[in-house]
Amino acid sequence: MSLCQNRLQEERKQWRRDHPFGFVAKPTRTAQGGLDLKTWECAIPGKTGTLWEGGLFKMKVVFPDEYPTKPPKCKFDPALFHPNVYPSGTVCLSILNEEEDWRPAITIKQILLGIQDLLDDPNPESPAQADAYNLFKKDRPAYERKVRQVVRENQPN
Amino acid sequence: MMAWMSNKGLGARDAISEAHMLVTELYNPANQRDPARINEIQARLQQLQKTEHAWSIADSLLQNEHSSQHRFMGALTFTVKINVSWNEIDENAAAEILQHLINRFVHIVNKGEQALVVRKLASSLVAIIKNPSTPRKQAVWQLAASLVNGEYVSDELALGVDFQERILPALNANASGALLFFSIALAEEAIRAESEATYRAKDQYPLHQALQSMKAGLYLVQFVLNGIMQHSQKFGDDAIDAALAAEAMSSWKTWLSFHGIRSRSVPEDVDQLAISCGKTIIETLRVPSLSENAASILTQAFESRRWVFDASSLSLVAEVLAFSIVTGHITAVSNGDEGLESMAFVDLLIAYVSHLYLDVFTVPLSPHHEAILRLVHGIFKTPGYASIDDLGTPRALEFWSEIAESVLDDLKPDDPRYDLIKSHLAEVVLILPSKLLYPTSEDLADWSDEERSEFGAFRHEGCDYLLAAYPIIGVELVTVFQRSATSHLQGGDWRNFETAMFCIAQLSEAVDDNCHADQCLDGIFGSNAFARLCAGGETGMPVKARQTLVDSFGKYEFYFERHSSLLPGVLNILFESLSFELCAQAASRSILTLSKSCARLLTSDLPVFLDQLDKFRSMPTATASTMPKVLEGIATIIQTLSTDEEKAQTLERILGFFVQEANTAREEVTGPAHEHGRLRGHLVLSCIASIGKGLRSETDLTSIDDLPDEGPYPASFWNSGPGAESQRLLTEAMRLLIVGFPVDNGIIEAACDILKAGYTERAGLFVFPPSMTVDFIKSFPLGISGTDIIMATASSFLASHASHAMQIRAQAEALTDHVARLFSSMLQTPELYDPETANAGIDFLARLLPKYYQVLFIPMESNAESPLAVLLHFILHALSRPDPLPLRAASAFCVALVDLRSTSPEATNAIDSVHQEFIPRLCYTIVQQIAGQCARSDMKFFSDALRRTIFKKMALARPALKAALEDLNPQFTDNNGQQVPLLSPQDKSRFLESLVIARGAAAPSIDLVRDLWLKCRRVEFDYV
Repeated sequence: MSLCQNRLQEERKQWRRDHPFGFVAKPTRTAQGGLDLKTWECAIPGKTGTLWEGGLFKMKVVFPDEYPTKPPKCKFDPALFHPNVYPSGTVCLSILNEEEDWRPAITIKQILLGIQDLLDDPNPESPAQADAYNLFKKDRPAYERKVRQVVRENQPN
Repeated sequence: MMAWMSNKGLGARDAISEAHMLVTELYNPANQRDPARINEIQARLQQLQKTEHAWSIADSLLQNEHSSQHRFMGALTFTVKINVSWNEIDENAAAEILQHLINRFVHIVNKGEQALVVRKLASSLVAIIKNPSTPRKQAVWQLAASLVNGEYVSDELALGVDFQERILPALNANASGALLFFSIALAEEAIRAESEATYRAKDQYPLHQALQSMKAGLYLVQFVLNGIMQHSQKFGDDAIDAALAAEAMSSWKTWLSFHGIRSRSVPEDVDQLAISCGKTIIETLRVPSLSENAASILTQAFESRRWVFDASSLSLVAEVLAFSIVTGHITAVSNGDEGLESMAFVDLLIAYVSHLYLDVFTVPLSPHHEAILRLVHGIFKTPGYASIDDLGTPRALEFWSEIAESVLDDLKPDDPRYDLIKSHLAEVVLILPSKLLYPTSEDLADWSDEERSEFGAFRHEGCDYLLAAYPIIGVELVTVFQRSATSHLQGGDWRNFETAMFCIAQLSEAVDDNCHADQCLDGIFGSNAFARLCAGGETGMPVKARQTLVDSFGKYEFYFERHSSLLPGVLNILFESLSFELCAQAASRSILTLSKSCARLLTSDLPVFLDQLDKFRSMPTATASTMPKVLEGIATIIQTLSTDEEKAQTLERILGFFVQEANTAREEVTGPAHEHGRLRGHLVLSCIASIGKGLRSETDLTSIDDLPDEGPYPASFWNSGPGAESQRLLTEAMRLLIVGFPVDNGIIEAACDILKAGYTERAGLFVFPPSMTVDFIKSFPLGISGTDIIMATASSFLASHASHAMQIRAQAEALTDHVARLFSSMLQTPELYDPETANAGIDFLARLLPKYYQVLFIPMESNAESPLAVLLHFILHALSRPDPLPLRAASAFCVALVDLRSTSPEATNAIDSVHQEFIPRLCYTIVQQIAGQCARSDMKFFSDALRRTIFKKMALARPALKAALEDLNPQFTDNNGQQVPLLSPQDKSRFLESLVIARGAAAPSIDLVRDLWLKCRRVEFDYV
């Protein structure tokens, strides 16, 4: 088994044993019903006490063959209204950037917690979509209204 | 008295006496409610602990005969002083202090001192030993020998006495416990040192010390536990020193953790000793007063120190789990006779089977494993709700999920274990539903939000298991739930029906897009009981069951498409469910999904749906998250009606209501219900936009390029025929909510969605005259929030007319003039600069350029004033500013501009002339920015524009860059205060030549730009 597969198996086990409350992370299934360890379906709950509380935001995490040397790609599906999320849904976060803060020791749990933190604490230095960025910078009440709407549309089933 | 510990002199005596007094005060109950005083005392004590008298203070406190609190503080003071002053002490003093402390340690242990004090003094000893200035060969051995001797024994002398045969047997229980404290502290210090370690020899020393003592530490564990076991056999469980046994087990665990960081250096015999200690701990599982602690320690070892269990250890664990008091505890948990207090045994059981994984299953099963698997299945019978009052079931389920997930990958179907595992997985499927039953409303009322979520998460874990087991068990698995759903629906057992439908809904992932389970599903949805449900009226179905049922409809979209005769009934249930708050979201989602996939099959039921819509729209559940979905679904069905007349008739009925609503919203915003009016207005526009979306459903989408070109706004049924009334209603509603209405981002977004809805069509309800879009866009002033959405609509508008661009030239010019006016205002009045408008405007221009460049470059009338100069000037302005989004958009515009080409000579001349004028200015701006001015993250965008310019327009770019580089003179001040240039002429020419050689390739170009940027910022390393 490759290093990537081994590590992902281990991540799966660790996640089963201990994962933060309300989060979801599981490999997708192939047409035959087996597991595709390199593509995970995840869901991140909005942090309690923040604007994002009550929402559950679905995300696809795709691991490259070179994982954990290279970071996974995290993509909200559907794309999320957030200053640091590209219109495609891809998250712009330093720990997910090979040339910035990615380290092979970073776990899926840490990634998802990092993204949860990012939701309520956007990084205006690194805008990824104009809609959310402009509203965040210019019209905070409208930004907050929009976030609340996004939360309403992303309620857990 | 040793020199380092002089208590002579007034200062020392005063300090000692003050310290005694402060400790007395610190623990005085009268001061406990005065945090300020406590802080004050602690601060003063901390000061004293760092003074030159601290050694004497520590020693004096440690000898206080009356108070263990003083003695504890004495030991603590030793630790603090060692950590603070050890570097100032010479080797002789260090040896003296160690000897003194060992003597004190032996003394207090022999006096039967309290564990708290002994443990603290053991830490003080470790604080000394971790330093290279007090070299030890075997710290545990030496301290053990000193304890036996009654006073300090040197390292060399101690090593002359056999540790196992002579020293350990001579230790009494007190001494063994004290030595365990020391042994644990030593291993913990090494683990801590490892986490903070550098490669300096000093920092590695604690690790070295621990490695030397690991064997002695494990012998001690073995000795203590063997002694306790023998004692228990002789005198029974009551005579056991459980605290000492717990300390020994904890010591084993700590040494295993140390092993985890130094495994390569640990000799094999020490590994074997650790394994042997593990076996002794496994044996203690049979001793009632030790078993719980042993189970917990062993579970942790299974999770992180798997190597410590060899085949015989595993066999021993299996025996104990299958036939011992541990078996009794696990069975008691399953029967509900024992609870949390016995969970350690359940944890051990799951840790053991998880450790063995597929190896648990052998054909035939060993008697031990047969018994163990019975226990694992039995856990599912634990009374109570999983995750709430039954904590065992989630753990057992975790194990079975792991097995189910691995079978396909790790076992071949002809493996004899395959069928055995399959039968076990099926057994779990049969028992699991009882644990997935949704709580009764009485039980639920007592749960906190967190408990509700916990249980919800468990239910999803349960369904994950079903999905994992499906490929192995097959359709029989769905049959289990189908039978359950059908019979409970028939009998009105809604709780069990809900559970079965919940499982069936989750299994849709595996069976909806194939026909594997269709027969099964027919059993439910084709039943008479389900037909009665579809007929509506009073069914007695509780909301939770309805919610789950509604959710399952949305998940079986393909099944219902294949079984269209069921659709009207299903949609009836869905519309009925819209009135329930808990169901409205899922119902609206399912209405949309099913309408989209089966629109053509639903046209005959449209009148019924419209009646239901009329009822729904006045309900409190008709919100911005439900109503637009329902309308989109209905509009999708309307779109499939055969004639435009039918469509118009139906749409008029819907739109008439929204005009009324828009009027109400307008009235409300002027009065006290302002916010309500704003929300209503937003809802109206969102609903209209959703109708627009539904009317261009994907199946009916026609490429606009395939249609005959009849100009930008040909006459049609919808603008000049019978459909014009519908369009009038629509524009009326929009006008009411935009002109003179408090416009916000949400309103703008919805209005833009309405405008965009018709851009992909030539004729239709949502195809408006081009002037409508232009007037709408021009109506917004500079700086308004939502400009990016407005300008993106302008881009979509122009893109939709790209095939006949010149026919809407007037509109395109009006839009570019509007953008130029906005840019001009920002250039003239810098405080009006709005990054959003800048970004949106530049982005609009970049998108417009390929198809509409003639609008910008070749004025229709030769004397007309072109906005081009202002626009290009603003682009360069944006490139010089720090705002990231306008800068990126400007870079994209420059790339588009440089890429422009035409086949017509007139246009080619126009483009060339713009390039001639613009490229030198662009090169100048880029060079200024990449010479250290721009942010690091923006370099890429300058590099993109630069490399494209070099690749496409080398002849213009090269001299322009040369001139820009010559003009560049970044400097820094050297140590003598002289201004020194950062770039030599050679640097500049090398940069330019290298760029030229790179010929626009992305990677070398960004590397060159990065190098220049770093050089100009005087940064040596790549990342700052």
